[in-house]
Amino acid sequence: MTSTVSNNGFFDKFGGKYVAEIIRRPLDDLEAAFNKYIHDPEFLEELRIIQRDYIGRETPLYYAPTATELLGGAQIYIKLEGLANTGAHKINNAIGQCLLAKKMGKTRIIAETGAGQHGLATAAACAKLGLECVVYMGEVDVRRQQPNVATMEMYGAKVVPVTSGSRTLKDAVNEAMRDWATNFKNTHYVLGSALGPAPFPDIVRTFQSIIGEEVKRQAAERNIDIAAVVACVGGGSNSIGVFTPFINDANVRLIGAEAGGIGPNVGENAARMTGNASREGIVQGYKSRFLIDEDGQSMPTRSISAGLDYMGIGPQLAALGESGRVEFTAFLDKEALDAVKFFARNEGILFALESAHAGAAAMKIAKELPKDKALVINMSGRGDKDIFITSPVFRPEKWKEFLKAELKRLENNEDIHDAEIMNN
Amino acid sequence: MNLMSHLIAGFPDAETSIAIADALVKGGANILEIQLAFSDPSADGPAIQTASTIALDKGYSTKQGLEIVKKIHERHPETPIYIMTYGSLAFTPGIDNFVRMCKDSGVSACIIPDLPFDCDEGLTEACKKHGLENIPVAAPSMTKERLETMASKGFKYIYAALRAGTTGSETTIDQATLDFIDTVGKGGAKVLGGFGIRNGEQSKVLSKHVYAVVAGSVFVNIVLGNEDSAEGRKKAIAEIEAKARELVG
Repeated sequence: MTSTVSNNGFFDKFGGKYVAEIIRRPLDDLEAAFNKYIHDPEFLEELRIIQRDYIGRETPLYYAPTATELLGGAQIYIKLEGLANTGAHKINNAIGQCLLAKKMGKTRIIAETGAGQHGLATAAACAKLGLECVVYMGEVDVRRQQPNVATMEMYGAKVVPVTSGSRTLKDAVNEAMRDWATNFKNTHYVLGSALGPAPFPDIVRTFQSIIGEEVKRQAAERNIDIAAVVACVGGGSNSIGVFTPFINDANVRLIGAEAGGIGPNVGENAARMTGNASREGIVQGYKSRFLIDEDGQSMPTRSISAGLDYMGIGPQLAALGESGRVEFTAFLDKEALDAVKFFARNEGILFALESAHAGAAAMKIAKELPKDKALVINMSGRGDKDIFITSPVFRPEKWKEFLKAELKRLENNEDIHDAEIMNN
Repeated sequence: MNLMSHLIAGFPDAETSIAIADALVKGGANILEIQLAFSDPSADGPAIQTASTIALDKGYSTKQGLEIVKKIHERHPETPIYIMTYGSLAFTPGIDNFVRMCKDSGVSACIIPDLPFDCDEGLTEACKKHGLENIPVAAPSMTKERLETMASKGFKYIYAALRAGTTGSETTIDQATLDFIDTVGKGGAKVLGGFGIRNGEQSKVLSKHVYAVVAGSVFVNIVLGNEDSAEGRKKAIAEIEAKARELVG
């Protein structure tokens, strides 16, 4: 039996609480509160009702007939986490932690965000639960994920662009940690992935495990015989969430798809468990595998999907990868884009670019598996948010013309009905 | 009084950081805290992060940083040098190896805030082996129990990140802070205390309660914005010397 919870914050040699003492107290307080409320029937019931009525759980386990036929192997099932309110699995954790924070008497929530999905989910959870919300977001990400910034502001959150360091996700984490160290008396930091210092990997996994628990139940109800589960892995919250209930089921292969970016070299990808760009390290409060150089400095990462564009991987997944329980594989940006197109055209399902890495993995391995078995893809999020990234790829000229015309219209302060007619 | 003053190796460049060390010593600093720039300094404020990024953008490495340290040590052999950095830079090359490299560069202590005293990857042991001190960093938010455990571990020095109230022009150190300093020093450790000291009056008040006053970002802030021209750097160096003198009193 592999333990699915940490041993005092550690998963084999990975994990831990490698933080300065200024941030120790809020982590210890959080750990105590989490351990208390996660066994409190009242808390769990409140959470269950929010999951049902607000998030929209359970999410469907969809049988994909055309994809199954075209790929010519195992039956393809897609867990539609993208149908959760706010469009991705991130809300499972955001709601759980915000509810916990409220029980702890906190009135202010801070969060980091890369792609904006976690920020968005946290902003929504705060709006729902009546909490103040501040989201730290790298200035680069603010630019590439404007739709999510706009929505966060709609939910009433304050989005703070982070201009230090590389101005991406990791810098947003640093900034959130600083804020928390100063303001922890009234503030809770909702970390969005199954990483960072203990107890975050345990907390995030706990709130995300509902994905895997539902898959397991849905499969049992419908006599689906699961041979493999695939999920994309950035920090690893959706993957650890869907994998956890299967960790001790040796019949189920667990496959993590990392961001292969544009190639295998340093700075071209965000692959921590495959390739040779990563090494063991201690960064941002935990020990794991990171894209760091021989001195220990973080290295640039690259992926078309902002949600996978991060240098570290959750410690539990690093341990499961090293033990061989979870198999890792990496897919290029262009393979992810192909997967987006494949599932959109053939199943009417639009994968987020992150989740499309899992789709790409399924497309590759389906035929290795027997036809009477199931291959479950966790679609962690839907792709609406990626319109500014996919449109320039799939329809560059029309998109460019649209943007120009739209800008002109806004500058001239014209109503949409009076705008210039687009030709193509 | 003892003043532990801070600089970042390689910020704004190798040559100027050596000149900054000279100015600090000349101004009366008797301990140099030299930071090795790290890409993700989450326990530091924005000024030190920005300065670290500038050093790193110039292609700075640990090896180059320690070469600068070695030069500073050769120029000021009587002034103890404490290295401040993050766990990643110590763990990645191997803790023992890192401490040995520090030793070879003339360093006498390590301050690595994200390697906690009770889970330090062998840092304290490696320091002992190579004749260095490991200096843990205490914070006022620590539980009394944890702070007392730290204080009783036999560390020669403990760095206390203080919180102090400033009312108008008068710096006051409240009873909670004094109690904190007492607890930090309970096991016999000499307390290095700082809280974002800006002027001589603040350091004078604090110096009565600690072994050494720590001044950090005040010096980095003098350089920031002046680093791009030779004239700016020269001006900053002169200002740093004057500031150190003011803080020593």
